Amino acid sequence: MKYAIKMTGPVQQVLRAMLEDAAVPRYGLEISKQAGLETGTLYPIMARLERVGWVESSWEDPDLSISDGRPRRRYYQLTKDGAEQARLALAEISFRREKRRSSLTSARPGPLGAWL
Amino acid sequence: MTSRLQIQSQPPACHDDALAGLREILRVTRPDADVERIQRAYDVAASWHQGQTRRSGDPYITHPLAVATILAEIGADDEMLCAALLHDTIEDTPYTLAALSCEFGAGVAALVTGTAALDQIKGRGRRTVAQVMAAAKCAGTRVLAIKLADRLHNMRTVQFIPQVKQLRKARESLDIFVRIAAQLGMDTIEVELEALAYATMKRNRHARSTSGRLLLAVAALISAATRTRWCEEWLGELHTLPARRDRVRFAIHTASGIPRLAFTVRMPAWGHRRSG
Repeated sequence: MKYAIKMTGPVQQVLRAMLEDAAVPRYGLEISKQAGLETGTLYPIMARLERVGWVESSWEDPDLSISDGRPRRRYYQLTKDGAEQARLALAEISFRREKRRSSLTSARPGPLGAWL
Repeated sequence: MTSRLQIQSQPPACHDDALAGLREILRVTRPDADVERIQRAYDVAASWHQGQTRRSGDPYITHPLAVATILAEIGADDEMLCAALLHDTIEDTPYTLAALSCEFGAGVAALVTGTAALDQIKGRGRRTVAQVMAAAKCAGTRVLAIKLADRLHNMRTVQFIPQVKQLRKARESLDIFVRIAAQLGMDTIEVELEALAYATMKRNRHARSTSGRLLLAVAALISAATRTRWCEEWLGELHTLPARRDRVRFAIHTASGIPRLAFTVRMPAWGHRRSG
């Protein structure tokens, strides 16, 4: 199945981290820590996810940042559709991986067995 | 004009309340104020600014009204209050100077053009502080007072503009407007403006750090439409990292991803087409 976004390893890491608690908005640095990715990898992925509508982002209430004396933060959250698609995609990928692994370990008779 | 005013005949309820606040202040500072004329200036400005919004998302008219309120607090005269309410109509709406002059008198019109002229001196190229101060000296005290109130309200709502601009406005406020306020003896405005400017600079101090500068420089690759958003986001993240080492690390790593991000943002959104 083709997805709106190429499901590379880092993309999967990001989605897995965000799906852990899909309803909670997070800022970039937080996601990068949870996903174990450098921010240089993370932000382009977030831009892509946002583009295809899996993720949406918004500024926090500026008054909050004013009272704390810091710039406002950008928060990311999976959209309803995005969370659904991401779950599906991740499930399919792990299913395929599982299948491949089992075919490698049990069903494979020998180096040339399959052909004979 | 009449048709526009008719549209305005059912203004949002908050506008009435807001003007009530101005009237309340005038009752104390200017009991002799021509409230009807000020109301008329408000109605005209509100009708011309209808549909325009501030960066905060508020209706645009909230800004001229706030400027007039600041001026009312320091006991400004009727012409200044009208000019404050109308100060952006000539530049930002189809309302003409001739019509304004006809409706509100040459005095108000002169104040409005004076305020706009001051903007142009400031805006055209990068003038030195001395040049701007010299130009300000030529402008009348009343024009300067309107400009100060205008700046004060802009600084009160500065959090809604991009960070780099916030810094520029803060610097400009300290270099020019705080000094003008001091010269005119407008102490309350001077004190508040200075406090706002310093708070803004402090809040955005990372934009001028090595890490911030690196990010801002590389971010030039991102198309202008989304650049400020990313810059603001990253400078915000920088702010949450207490150790300088972490900030430099963050800046280097994030900067390394910028070319890729710039490419993503520039590309047509093919994902949408495929799924939709």
